[in-house]
Amino acid sequence: MDLDKKKYVIFVICLSILAVFIIRLAYLQLFTSDELTKESDRNSIKTITVTPPRGIMYDRNGNILVDNKPSYTVTITPNQFDKNILEEISTVLELSADSLAMTLKNIKGTNRFNPAKVKRDVDFRVISFIAENRDRLNGVDYQVEAIRYYPNNFRGSHSFGYCNEISPKQLEKQIGDYYKQGDMIGANGLESNYENHLRGVKGYQFITVDVKGREIGSLNEGKSDIPPVNGTDLILGMDRDLQELAEKLIYGKQGAIIAVDPRNGEILCFVSKPDFDLSAFSGKTDSKIFSNLLTDPQKPLFNRVIQTKYPPGSTWKMMMSLAALEAGIITTTSTISCPGSFVFGNRSFADHGSYGSINVVRALEVSANVFYYKLGLQVGIDNYHKYSKMFGFGTKTGIDIPNETSGLLPSREYFDKRYGENKWTQGLLVSLGIGQGELGVSPVQMVAYTAAIAMNGLYCQPHFVSKIRNSMNNEEEIVKYEQRRIDLPLKYYEAVRKGMFLVVNGNGTAARIKSDEIVLSGKTGTAQNSSGKNHSWFVGFAPFDDPRIAICVLGEFEGWGSSFGAPTAAALMLNYLGVSVNETGEEIKSVGDYD
Amino acid sequence: MNKGILERVDLLLIIVTLAVIVSGLIAIFSATYTSETDYFSKQLIFAIAGIVMMIFISYIPPRHIAKASYILYFISIVLLILVLFFGKKISGSKSWFSIGSFGIQPSEFAKIATVLALANFLSRSEEGFRNINRLPDFLKACAIVLIPVALIMRQPDMGTSLVFVSMILPVLFWVGLSPFALFCILSPVIAVIGAFLGINYFIGSLVLIGIILLMFKKNIFLSAGALVLNIIIGYSVDILYNKLMPYQQARIKAVFNPETDPLGSGYNVIQSKVAIGSGGLTGKGFLQGTQTQLKFIPEQWTDFIYCMIGEEFGFIGSVTILILYMIIILKLVSNANITKNYFLSAACIGFASIILFHLVINVGMTIGIMPVIGIPLPMMSYGISSLISFLVMIGIGMSAYRYRNQY
Repeated sequence: MDLDKKKYVIFVICLSILAVFIIRLAYLQLFTSDELTKESDRNSIKTITVTPPRGIMYDRNGNILVDNKPSYTVTITPNQFDKNILEEISTVLELSADSLAMTLKNIKGTNRFNPAKVKRDVDFRVISFIAENRDRLNGVDYQVEAIRYYPNNFRGSHSFGYCNEISPKQLEKQIGDYYKQGDMIGANGLESNYENHLRGVKGYQFITVDVKGREIGSLNEGKSDIPPVNGTDLILGMDRDLQELAEKLIYGKQGAIIAVDPRNGEILCFVSKPDFDLSAFSGKTDSKIFSNLLTDPQKPLFNRVIQTKYPPGSTWKMMMSLAALEAGIITTTSTISCPGSFVFGNRSFADHGSYGSINVVRALEVSANVFYYKLGLQVGIDNYHKYSKMFGFGTKTGIDIPNETSGLLPSREYFDKRYGENKWTQGLLVSLGIGQGELGVSPVQMVAYTAAIAMNGLYCQPHFVSKIRNSMNNEEEIVKYEQRRIDLPLKYYEAVRKGMFLVVNGNGTAARIKSDEIVLSGKTGTAQNSSGKNHSWFVGFAPFDDPRIAICVLGEFEGWGSSFGAPTAAALMLNYLGVSVNETGEEIKSVGDYD
Repeated sequence: MNKGILERVDLLLIIVTLAVIVSGLIAIFSATYTSETDYFSKQLIFAIAGIVMMIFISYIPPRHIAKASYILYFISIVLLILVLFFGKKISGSKSWFSIGSFGIQPSEFAKIATVLALANFLSRSEEGFRNINRLPDFLKACAIVLIPVALIMRQPDMGTSLVFVSMILPVLFWVGLSPFALFCILSPVIAVIGAFLGINYFIGSLVLIGIILLMFKKNIFLSAGALVLNIIIGYSVDILYNKLMPYQQARIKAVFNPETDPLGSGYNVIQSKVAIGSGGLTGKGFLQGTQTQLKFIPEQWTDFIYCMIGEEFGFIGSVTILILYMIIILKLVSNANITKNYFLSAACIGFASIILFHLVINVGMTIGIMPVIGIPLPMMSYGISSLISFLVMIGIGMSAYRYRNQY
C-alpha cells in the first residue's frame, strides 16, 4: 500500500467518525432537543445555606446564660433582583440605597445565584410586606435565623462577648472556605474563643428551580441535603446568682470583680464595669451604638478584669512575704522594726503608723509599709522577679477569652532598658515592696495568685468553660486546664494565710467585714493613682479552713481598699457560701479608711 | 507573490487553527463569565504566545528537529520521573510542576517529544521508513512509546497514557506495518470491549476475530496463537477491571448507563447531554446558556468546554467545530503524504492521531458515547500546557508543508 492509499484509508476513518458524531449531535440537538430543553429549564439548583443555632452557654447549675431566639433575616438573590426596586427595598429595610447596592455588587461568582443576607433581625412588619408583595419583589426573601438571647437580669458582656458579621479581611485570612460573606463570627469573649465549637457546621438545602428562579421542589426529595450540625454547648463554672449580685454591687461604678473556685480555677463570677448591652449586638448591629461605645470616655468595651495594669498596692504584701521567706531574708517568726517611716537615700517613705518590732504575720495584719519597704530592698530585683513570676505575674494566666494582658513585672533587664544599665537605684525596690511603682497586675492575675495562696501553692489556670457538650448526642467533654504546684514550704503559706485571717478577724484593715457564720480572710490594697482618686483593691478567700471561693475586687477611683473592695468581696463570698446578705444592690457601706 | 506565500505557508492550517483558538476563547469567556478567576485573560495571553511559537517552529528545518528529537525525548523522560517526586497533586494526579501561579504538565510536552523520537527512529532520510515488520525494530518502536506511558500511569493519569498508546497504531500503519500485525494489535481491543459488554458479545467478537485472522491466510499456528492471546486478554478484563480505581470503574459503567448514578459519575454525562441537547439548532446565544451560566457542569472551561458550544451555539456551532478539527487532522495527514521528508511525515501522522484521539474521547464523552476520561479538547479547553503543546505540534505540521521538498 503506498502512502496515497493510506491517506485515503485515514480520510475514510476520520470522516466516518465525523459522521457518527454529527448523527449523535443531530439526535441530541434536533430530535430530542425539546425534551432536553425542558429538562434544562427545570434543572437549576438553588443552594440554601442553613446556619445552625450557636451553642448555648449554661452556668454551673444548668441555668441558661446565653440562649438563642428566632429572628427574621432578609435576603436578596442578586441575579434575580430587579434593580428598579432597590430604592423601595432600601426604604423598607431602613438601609441606605447606596450601601445596599454596594453590598449586592460585592457578591461575586456563583454566590450571585444564592440568597445573600442583607439585614438581620427585622420587624415582622417588614416580613409581612415582603410576603404580600412577593410577586413584585423578585429575588427578595427572608429566612428565619437564630440570634442570641440573654434571659437573665445581668449582662456578662465581657465574659460572653458578641458576634458580628465577618469582615472582608477575616474572610480573606480564613483557613479553608467555611465562612461566606454575611456570616456571623464570634468577635469577643467566649463567643470568639469558642467560635469553632459554638458555631456548629452549616448545612445545605438544594432546591430545584426553573430558569426564572421559581422553586419547583427539593432536589432528590431532600435526600441530597446536607443537614447542619448544631453548635456545641458550653458549660461554664459561672454561678448565675453570684454573677447577678456582683453586677448589682458594682453597678454605677468603674471596676472589676472576679471570683474563682480555688480548687480548680473555675470562674464563678466575672464583672467589668462599665459594660454594655449584648443584645444590641445580637442581630442588627447598629453602627451608631458601636461607635458610641468606642468613644465613651469610660471605655465600656475595655475588659478591666483581664486588661488593666494597675499596681496592686498592699494586696502585694503576701507576695513579698513569700519571696522574702523563700529567699531566706526572714523566717516566719523573725521581726523587723517598724517605726512610722523609712528613709532611703534622701527620701522618706511614710507608713500609717508605728508598730515596733513585728513579724510577718503581724505586718500583714496591720499592712505595715516599713516592713515591706525593707523587704523590697533586701529581696532585690532578681528574686523579686523570680518569685512573682512563679505566681503568674508578668505572664498571661491563659484565661479562655481573648485579649488578656500579661501586665508589667519589672526585672533587671527591664530597668536596664528603661533607665540605662546601672543608672537606676535600689530606691525603686522600696516602692515595689509595697506593690506600688512600676508594677502592673490585672484582677485575673490577682485572683489566681490569691487562690494559689489559699490552696498551699496549687496554681490553677482561671477559666470559664469547664465542659463542652455536643448538643446532638449530649456527650460531654471535660476541658483540661493547666494546674501546677508552686513548691514553697507549707509553713510559709500558713504564715501568710494567718496574716490574711487577721486582716479580717484580728485588728486588721478589714476587721469590719468579719462574719460570724463563715471565716473570711483577705487583704486590702490601694493603688496610688497620680491622675485622680486611688483605686481600691481587695483579694480574699473563704472559708478559711476549706477555701471554696477566692475573689478579687477592684474599684477604680474608689479610694481605700477597705472602703469599697472589702465589703463588696465579703458580700459576694458570703452569698456564694450560702449566707443571705443584703441583695438590694444598695451602695456598699464603707467599712473604714484603711489601706 | 501570493502564489509564493501559498507555496511556503500552510495558510489553510493556520486559518483553521486560529478559528479553533478563537472559538475556544469565546467558550472560556462564557463558561467563566461568573467565575472569580480570570481564566480568559490567561488563556488569551498564552494563545498569542503559542501562535508566535507555532509560526517560529514552522521555519525550523526538519533536520534540526530530527537531531533534537532524542534529546527532547530524554529530557521529557527525566521530567516525567521528577514530577513523580516533586510534582504537585491536583485532583488525585501528581502531574504538575507549579511555577509561580502557573502549573506545567510535563506529560503534555512528552507527547511531542515521543512522537518526534518515534518518527526519528522510524525514518531513515532518503531511503524511506525503517522496516517495521522486523520484530526487534517493532519492539523498539513500541518501547519508545511505552516508557513515557509507564511513567504517566504512575501519576496516575489514565487519559494521557491512553493518548500515547493511541498513536502507535496509526503511525505504524503509516510506515508500513503489515495488515496482519496491525490486526493482531487491534484485535485485543475488540475482544476487551466484547468481554466488557458480556459473555455473548465476547464470543461474538472472538468469532469475528477468528474469521478475519483466517482471511489473512497466514500460518495457521500464528493465527491460532493470536486468537488464544485474544481469549486470554478477554478473560483478564475482569481481573483488570477490578484493579481499576473505583472512580474509573464508575466512569466506565456510567458510559453504558449514566442514569444509574445521576449525582455521581453519571452526573456530568447527563448534564452535558442536557446542555448540548437544549441548544437546539442555533443555540441559546452567547452567555445565554442556563446550564453553562448556572455552573451546572463543574469546571466546564476545562474538559467539558464543548457543552458550552453545544448549548449556546447549537447544532450549527457544534458541527462547525467538529469540521474545523477534521480539517486540521486531514491537513496534517495530507502534509504527511506530500512531504518528502520521512521523519516529518511520520511525525505528522503521530500528531494527527493525538488530536483525533483527544477529539473523539472529549467530544464523545460530552455527547455521551465515550467514557468520562479527563483529557482536554485540543486548543479549546482551558489549560496552558496543553494549548502550547498542540500549537507546537501544528507548527511542526506546518514545517512539513514548508520543507516538503527537502529530504
